[in-house]
Amino acid sequence: MENSKLGQEMKPVDVKKIKEMLNLKKGKMKRYLSHCAHCSLCAESCFLYMAHHKDPQYMPAYKAIHSLGTLYKKKGKVDRKLLTKMKGIVWRNCVLCGRCYCPIGIHIPSMITFARSILRSQEVYPQPDEVSAESWL
Amino acid sequence: MYDFIQGQLVSIAFVIFILGLIFQIFKFFKLTKKKEWSYPPGEVKREKKTAGQWVAFCLASLNGTLWKTDPLLTVVTLVFHVFLILVPIFLLGHNILLDQSWGLSLWSLPESITDILTLVFLICVAFFLGRRLFLSRVRAITTVYDYLILLIVAAPFLTGYFAYHQWFNYDTVMTLHILAGEVMLITIPFTKLGHMLFFFLYRFLIGNEYSFARGERVW
Ligand code: HEM
Ligand code: HEM
Ligand code: SF4
Ligand code: SF4
Repeated sequence: MENSKLGQEMKPVDVKKIKEMLNLKKGKMKRYLSHCAHCSLCAESCFLYMAHHKDPQYMPAYKAIHSLGTLYKKKGKVDRKLLTKMKGIVWRNCVLCGRCYCPIGIHIPSMITFARSILRSQEVYPQPDEVSAESWL
Repeated sequence: MYDFIQGQLVSIAFVIFILGLIFQIFKFFKLTKKKEWSYPPGEVKREKKTAGQWVAFCLASLNGTLWKTDPLLTVVTLVFHVFLILVPIFLLGHNILLDQSWGLSLWSLPESITDILTLVFLICVAFFLGRRLFLSRVRAITTVYDYLILLIVAAPFLTGYFAYHQWFNYDTVMTLHILAGEVMLITIPFTKLGHMLFFFLYRFLIGNEYSFARGERVW
């Protein structure tokens, strides 16, 4: 446990690997990202948004834009600090329940899932003993 | 320059608009494939509803839509989108030009009506702008780009309104109007305005919880 946690913080980010993964689903994900009207209508459909006093950070679109969206925007050139921030967004702020409703039909959970895979490829994922330290609730 | 904007660029814009949409449809079908059902959806026997039950069903279904969470926005966005498409199509000024160049004569609304509809449309734009400026939830996901797109959509209506009322120099305003229309047409297939097409592809062809149809395709 201790080792893997240390590994998470020390290893350099494999930008090439991230780029490869981003390219794999570029056609789908870039279309979803670009067709989002940034209208915020998906907000109320997310129970986490409702449970956090309508904090915009919990809007489905916000979570997709600030994780997968950022990865595409930076073309995979991200540092560990940013990846760690995204970890909170895609694991703590979204539980992948699939209930988000977008009138245009943008499927947020598939974007969050993909962001999780990319983070996992860089060994960024929640550790069991992190739960209390990061205040997951 | 004026000649180019009023002449060739009109055709170029329409060609890019149409070919762009066709390209996007083609891309979409290349990126997706037909779903292989692990459990083929069975034939669901629909219960016959009386007219009254049908109306009640529709009204109840509305509670699961945006009408319930944000009724004002639902009305505004409906008006915005319906006018956005219908006004230019049934506009006398447009159809006269269409008749002259293609011999295509469409039915037109009286100019006094389309003028009011244009104004209503611009009010809807102002509403969206206000939301973007003042609602923190919208601001949280807004970039300059969103304002630019809203401007691109508003510009043909704004300049069209000016032209109809002959405000400012008519020739300049008319040229700007045509340029604005062309810019909008060209940007539709390649920006977030592409939702005009992808709304139908995403919600009818891709299967997920909120599909309108069965959803026969997967990415
Ligand atoms: C690209 C080629 C276009 C041409 C050549 C064109 C031409 C014209 C003309 C001749 C008028 C009449 C102005 C008058 O009454 O003096 C007009 C008005 C108008 N146009 Fe266009 N137009 C174009 C594109 C568009 C587009 C793409 C839209 C909107 C999506 C648009 C929206 C309007 C509106 C709303 C008015 C009327 C405003 C009012 O009556 O208050 N036009 N246009
Ligand atoms: C034809 C089918 C179309 C459908 C089903 C559709 C659907 C939608 C939906 C669901 C939204 C998000 C809700 C909202 O903010 O109102 C939206 C927003 C928007 N649509 Fe459309 N749309 C269509 C066509 C178009 C076209 C042709 C244009 C412009 C050329 C357009 C321009 C916009 C803009 C600018 C917004 C964002 C408004 C804002 O800034 O908040 N739409 N559309
Ligand atoms: S995901 Fe859909 S509902 Fe949410 S902001 Fe984007 S377009 Fe609007
Ligand atoms: S999948 Fe995530 S964003 Fe969508 S409703 Fe569930 S928790 Fe919210």
